[in-house]
Amino acid sequence: MQSFSDIVESISDIGLKWHQLDIVKNNISNIKFIHKSINELPELSRVNNSAVIVSAGPSLHYSDTLETLAYSEYKGTIVAIDGSYVKCLKAGIVPDYVLTLDPHPTRLVRWFGDPDFEKNMENDNYFSRQDLDIDFRDNSIKQNQENIDLVNNYAKKTKLIIASTSPSNVVKRVIEAGFDMYWWLPLVDDPDIKNSLTKKMYQSSKLPAMNTGGNVGTAAWVFTQFWLNIEKIAVIGMDLGYKKDLPYSMTQTYPELSAMFGEDNLNSEHFPEFENPLTGEIFYTDPTYFWYRKNIIDMLNNTDSNLFNCTEGGILFGNNIKNIRLVDFLL
Amino acid sequence: MSDFLKGNYDLDTIIQDDKEEVEDKFRENVLNSIGGSMVFVERKKMVWDGNDKSTEE
Repeated sequence: MQSFSDIVESISDIGLKWHQLDIVKNNISNIKFIHKSINELPELSRVNNSAVIVSAGPSLHYSDTLETLAYSEYKGTIVAIDGSYVKCLKAGIVPDYVLTLDPHPTRLVRWFGDPDFEKNMENDNYFSRQDLDIDFRDNSIKQNQENIDLVNNYAKKTKLIIASTSPSNVVKRVIEAGFDMYWWLPLVDDPDIKNSLTKKMYQSSKLPAMNTGGNVGTAAWVFTQFWLNIEKIAVIGMDLGYKKDLPYSMTQTYPELSAMFGEDNLNSEHFPEFENPLTGEIFYTDPTYFWYRKNIIDMLNNTDSNLFNCTEGGILFGNNIKNIRLVDFLL
Repeated sequence: MSDFLKGNYDLDTIIQDDKEEVEDKFRENVLNSIGGSMVFVERKKMVWDGNDKSTEE
């Protein structure tokens, strides 16, 4: 039987094996839409050399970090990700940048309002099982339409930092919405090694590559720190874990873990618990989130970078990470 | 060539090759299990601009 650490270790190989066909194919089919790369981004106009990255973890629902940011008159740069973009707009925040990365063919487009929502969600409970947005869960079709309208109204005000590996329905949707689009290539391996997948994709699209850390939230940090060269960076919504009272069945990998270990056998061995150093609350994680956590901590250590984690919850803490409240970062 | 190998009899039932369907199902399960994860192997290089000499932060 596989242990928790075995599962975590296997995620890289699983991702590489199953995503490589999709990302190479998408990278080629998107070439005709690529007019500007992130090399063409205009200089930052903000005077404040700091940024807040809005990731899309559950704390955006249970904490008031988004509202704090919205009412703060913050003058720094705001970077959202696809999954938090509409939440930002609903809170009254128009991000300077939005990142999108995931190549999933039916799920990702939801974050921009999905014109084929009913068809794409057919037989797929990935979101409905986990959704903490009660309004969306109860009125998903109406909410989806409202999201389409909202994104159409605001898209022109935000620069979309879009991976060349994005699926065709996302590309179609964001073009229709009117985003100012800047393309990049996910750095998925060392481009100097023989048969590098990154180099192979680069030869088709000629786009600059950025590391992703395995997920779009970490990719947003890489973009902000190493592309925009912003020194002081905070994240909100980067939980990488769940509140202790959330049922395991509402977590992202529950069906797979219960199939692997048996529903009745799932316990804290498969969902390790951590005490958040800022709030003292207990959160648990799953193999995928734990893998994201390990990746970003390694990347921070390897590059001697620092990060303010203002999520006010979750399991992201360690060397080079300072957990503080968002109001204190915004001072 | 397949015409020469098909035999001299007819089958009453239609045989369907379900290999692709099984692979698709497996692929779907695997993709579900890694959520929104992206391929991630490289831990030191943060950006790369296509030059032969990579940028290591």
